[in-house]
This record gives sequence, C-alpha cells and structure tokens, in this order.
Amino acid sequence: MFCSIKTKWALILLLPLLFSPLTAQAETTPPPADKVFVLDASRDGDALRLSWTVAPGAYLYRDSLKATLSGSELPLAPPPGETKDDPNFGKVEVYHDAVALTVPGLPQSGALNVTYQGCAESGICYPPVRSRIDLASLAVTQQPRSSLLADTADPPAPAQSVAVSTDQSADAALSGGLFTIVPAFVGFGLLLAFTPCVLPMVPILSGLLVGAGRPSAARGFSLSTAYVLAMASAYGLAGLVAGWSGANLQALLQTPPMLGLSAAVFVALAFAMFGLFELTLPSFVVTRIASLPVRGGSLGGAALLGFGSALVIGPCVTPPLAAAMLYAIDTGNAARGGAALFALGLGMGLPLVLAGTFGARFLPKSGPWLDGFRRLFGLLFLGVAVMLAVRLLPAPAGLALWGVLALVVATFLGAFDRMGRTSPWSARFSKALGLSTALYGAVLIVGAAGGSGDPSRPLAFLSGREVTEVATLSRTLPADFDRAFAAEASAGKPVLVLFTADWCTVCKSNEKILADPDLRARLASTAWITIDITAQTAEAEELMERFRVVGPPALFLLDTDGREITGSRLIGAFSAADLAARLGALGA
Amino acid sequence: MQRRTFLAGATATLALGLGSAQALAADASLDDILHDPDAPEGGNSKGDLTIVAFTDYNCPFCKKAAPDLDRAVREDGNIRLVYKDWPILTQASVYGARMALAARYQGAYEQAHHALMSINGRAVSQEDMEKAIEAAGIDMPRLRTDLEARKKDITALLARNMDQADALGLQGTPTYLIGPLLASTLDYDGFREAIAQARNRQTGDAQ
Repeated sequence: MFCSIKTKWALILLLPLLFSPLTAQAETTPPPADKVFVLDASRDGDALRLSWTVAPGAYLYRDSLKATLSGSELPLAPPPGETKDDPNFGKVEVYHDAVALTVPGLPQSGALNVTYQGCAESGICYPPVRSRIDLASLAVTQQPRSSLLADTADPPAPAQSVAVSTDQSADAALSGGLFTIVPAFVGFGLLLAFTPCVLPMVPILSGLLVGAGRPSAARGFSLSTAYVLAMASAYGLAGLVAGWSGANLQALLQTPPMLGLSAAVFVALAFAMFGLFELTLPSFVVTRIASLPVRGGSLGGAALLGFGSALVIGPCVTPPLAAAMLYAIDTGNAARGGAALFALGLGMGLPLVLAGTFGARFLPKSGPWLDGFRRLFGLLFLGVAVMLAVRLLPAPAGLALWGVLALVVATFLGAFDRMGRTSPWSARFSKALGLSTALYGAVLIVGAAGGSGDPSRPLAFLSGREVTEVATLSRTLPADFDRAFAAEASAGKPVLVLFTADWCTVCKSNEKILADPDLRARLASTAWITIDITAQTAEAEELMERFRVVGPPALFLLDTDGREITGSRLIGAFSAADLAARLGALGA
Repeated sequence: MQRRTFLAGATATLALGLGSAQALAADASLDDILHDPDAPEGGNSKGDLTIVAFTDYNCPFCKKAAPDLDRAVREDGNIRLVYKDWPILTQASVYGARMALAARYQGAYEQAHHALMSINGRAVSQEDMEKAIEAAGIDMPRLRTDLEARKKDITALLARNMDQADALGLQGTPTYLIGPLLASTLDYDGFREAIAQARNRQTGDAQ
C-alpha cells in the first residue's frame, strides 16, 4: 500500500515527462505564480517605481494591481493594457511581458504591500500574489498566500471587525491629532511666555496697551485679548502658509537628507536656546516696526500692535517659532499648521491677557529661574532632533542616541553637580531625578550595545526569551483556563492561545520566532494564554479535546466569546510571516 | 532501474517543494485526497478511474474546461469524478464554494456547481452566484439553513481541500488529477487522451 502511494506520487510529480506526448497545453507543470510574475521596485526621484516582468505565455490583470500602505489602499494609475475579449473571461485588460507604474508620495520607510493576479494562456489561473516592499531597502519579499477562507469563515463578523478597527485608527489619527496638537501648542506658548525675554516685557506691554489711566478690568481684558488674538492670528497665518507649502514638500521632507538637515536645524535651535548664539531679525527691521506710530487705547490699535508684534520676535522666541514652523511644514496640512501656530500664539499671550485684566501683580516675578525655561526648550529641541535622527539610524543606534539624550537631560537636572551640606532640597530633588535619568540613559546605551532597539525594554536581550506578558497556565485545569480567558478577553480583543510542552522541540523553535522583533511589536497588544501540556494529565487532555488539539504546538485565536476564529489555527512549525499573515487577515 | 530513478527524483521534489509547515499536510496520503467522504462526487461511483478536479468559481479556464470534462466523463461512463472546491482567486469564490457545498445537503451539488461554472467571467459577485443557483431550481431557504447549520463542516472541507492542494504543490486553477496524471485546462480531446493514458499507466502500474 505504502509503495503504491509512493508510486502514484512519483507519477504525478513526474508529469512533465509523462505528459509530453499529450496536448501542447499540458506539456509542463505550471511554475509557481511568483516565478511567473516577478515584481521589482526602484526609486524614481521621489516616487516608487513598480515593475512586473511577466513570463512568456502569462498575463497580469490590470484591475488586479493593488497596493496598500499601513492598511489603506493607495490609488494606482496602471497604464492601459491590451484588451482581451473572451467568452469565458468577458472583456478584460491584461499585460503581457511587462508593465510598470509609479507610486508618488510614499514615505522612506515602512512597507508597501502589493497584490497582483494573472493567468497563463496554457490554461491556469494563479491565486493573487502578495508582495511586501520594504520602502527603506526596496527589498521585495513574497508573502505567504493568504487563505481567503480565513476572511469569510464567519462572513460578516471578522470582515466587519477589521473594517471597524482600521476606521477607528484612521479617525483617531486625524481627530486625535488635532485635539492633542492644539492643547500642546497652547502649552508650548505658555512655556514660551516664561522665557527671560518675554515675561519681563508683559507688564510694560500691558501698560502700553491699556494706557496709563487704568481702565476697568473688562476694558483691559478686551484690549489685551484683541492684541493676543491678532498676534495669534499672525502666527496662525504663518503656520497656514507653512503647512500648505509643506503639503508640496512633504515627500521631500521625508527623505533621509532632509531628515538629517531638520535634525541639525533642531540641534542648532537648541543651542540658540542655551545661549550659544542669538537668533533675531535684522535690527533695522525691528526698529522700523517698533517705531510704527501705533498706540494703545483702542481695540483696533491693540490688534494692529499685536499683529505687528508677531513680526518683532525676541531672541528667545525665534528658535521655538522656527521649530513650530518646521513642524507645520512637516504636517503638510495647512489647517493643522495654522491651528498649531495659532494655539502657540494664544498660549504665549495668556499671561498678557491676565496682566491686562488684573494688573501685573498676578504675574510671577522675573528672575534667573526664567532661564530654566530657555533650557527646557533647548532640551525639547534636542529631543525633536533625536526623534528625527533615529528614523535614519538602525534601531540600536537610535536607542543609544536616546541614551545620550537622557544623559544630557540628567546633566541639566544637576545629576553630576556637587552637593554641599547646605544644598537646598530642590537641588537635591533635582539631582535625584537627574541621577535616575542618567541611570536610564546608561541602561539604554547598554541595551543598544546588546542589540536592543526598544526604549521600553532595552535589556530584553538579557532574558533570552523575549515574549512576556503571557498568561501561562501552570496548571491545566479547564477552570483555570476559563478564568485566564475571562481576564484576557475583557480587553475586547481576540486572545491568542498557544499549546506548548517542554518536550516539544518545534515549540521551542516557534518561541524563537515569536521573539522576532516585528512580531513582538505586533503581539505587544495581543492577549495570550499559553497552555503547557508537558504533564499529560486528564485535565490537559480535556483542554486538548475541547480545542481539538492533537498535540503541541498549536496556536489559534479565540474571539471574545471563546469561539475559535476560523482560519486562525497554525499547527506545527510556522514562520514569522505565516503568523503575521494570519494575524493581519484576522485584524488581530 | 528507470523506475527507481523516478522514485528518487520524486522524493527529492517532495522534500524541496514542501515547506516545514506543509510537512504535516504532506503526510496526508493520496487515499485521503481521492476518498474524502465529504467531497462531492459525480460520474460513476464504481468507475475504474478517478478524476479529481480542483476548481474555483471565478476561474475562467475552469469554466471553459467544465463542459468538456463533463462530456468526457459522461461518455466514458466508467469514471469517478471528485469535486474539490479550491477557492483561491477571489473572496466571492469562497462564497460560491460554500453555497455549492451547502447544496450537497439537498443532493444538488452538481446542479449548483454547473450553475456557477456557467457564469462567465473572473469577477462574478456573490449576488450573481446566488441568482444563478436560484435559477438552477435549488431550494434557497433550505440552502441558507444548511449554509448556516453545516458551516463548520463546510469550512473544514474547504480547509482540507486547500491543505491537499498545497501538499500536492498545486499552483493554480484548474488542476485535474486524472488517475496518476496531473493537468490544467484541457479540451474534450485532451481529456479523452489523458483518460486513455491514465488507464494505460494504471494497468501498467498494477502489473
């Protein structure tokens, strides 16, 4: 019996030899789809060029070319194909030999997923081929064929949940973006107001605005508000222009040279805040504007003064403003850029409104402490520079850079200052904070040296096994499982269940795959339950039977009701790509 | 001598062609593929030759070959035809396969299969598939009930078909196992010739 099966296998696999006298159509076994349709990616200026080579006798469907970037489909403009009209096919546009198209406006890093499908004239239709293009290296890798079955096993449910989750994330990115930007920039503006060249000016400015006569609080409020609104509008206008121009520059700004340049600019701005050099408008501009014959007392005058004052920028404000403009350009969104800078202006003007309404006595006294705010801005800019620079660096180098920044911050906090017997508590506290920061920085650098790239777990490489936060059932009582499941499923997401055992060598290699950095990042938010069936107790067997697991390793997802998500099961050895594909298909 | 070489070659192909994840599936014997109790069958159940058809309801070549295969099987009279729904091309293909398999519970798989195979094109929608099945005179309320009630069995069968196709290293649709031979699209004469050759091989094999 065994032998006869083998023989049949042999004959099937040796078809090319056996079939040669038959019809021309069946002369050769068809080669796999990814050998028939070969995708290549190259940079074409700012755009990405995708080119397919199609093996002789095969063709690609024009309407099958699809590309998705982080879950959302990109519009493609494939060139017109040859029209093929066949009673069995209907009218379709196809490409023989080769086709190429360009995709503009892609980031420099991340991954583009491309799918395409075609047939061969010899009479075979290939399943869709899925390729992943790493946008940094332009390497093209074949993804495992996704089982369409997985997507529709439960037709409405999983498909819907996928759609909902992407919609939500898109919404969050947009609205959450604006909702966090505005308060953040009001906050930055307020910080700016406490820099040494702004705060001392507030009482003088409010005197100038409101006039010597000390009118009512209401009048003072409306005058100073008019000034602040006008100033904020001027900033907002500048932000609008920056954002709008950024829309055209965005692709350019994401290129490595521009990222490097931006990082350098932020470093320069930081040093300007530290007082290394002063950034001001040319003095003739400043004197010209300052001598404008505008005086306080009227709303219009106050507003005009406010608008004009936006142009007279003191040495403390220039670098942050330049930074905010860079941010606005980087958003590439006029509304967002405008809103950010308007918010910055509002925040900056708040102390002025306060002083104008209630008089200057409510403001804190100027003093050397104001320099602290300049330094704070300097450090913030260094942080931004690091954020930009790490995108150019391998993950461990980026981690090391963060470590260096933490050491810089620690030094500014006074971590390495000498303490004396009489040192005030605030200095001691600051030193303690600085020392903790220094320790964290050192750990980051050690982590980087160990090959880690994750600031939240820099020393993960020491533990060897990098998968954590796994609810492992030490005992395999079904009741324990139910309890663990209830706890994990409360998050409202599918729960990954993994059957494993000490004696299972494939499980060990699977665990190594689970430690793959990409997968780990992906699984960080996934709830896990590992069922260790090393001891084959009756309870363990009950669980195995319940989930129809014949033996370890087996891995599958349960929905929040505890039902296995069809198509999610992986049995035996799997690759990182297999698992990622399953999780991706199921939206987990 | 020559046969031994064949075997060695085949074993090598197996080892190379099938990844570790499929090693398990490769254990599935050919017997499982030929005699899946849940797989719908046509032709003569006691036929001396078995043809296994791996097809997709949005595969134009499958649709082109379907009438020729039917005719060849019908005229031969001694062939057992095993239908393996292998929906790999479009999402609607999966739905079509589910409906056809659900129709099996009212003894109407072939009716549904032929109805789906006679809609031309490569992008037939779920709705159009449903209409075609309804037009073929299938009891739709019953079909919907079975679709839901037998969902697990249908999914399991489709998953099994997919595993088997992977284990065989099939690359696309249609693929026909004709006795010991493997072919993609054939016309009527092609099927006739393949059937004749397959019978020759089988008898040669038995001796």
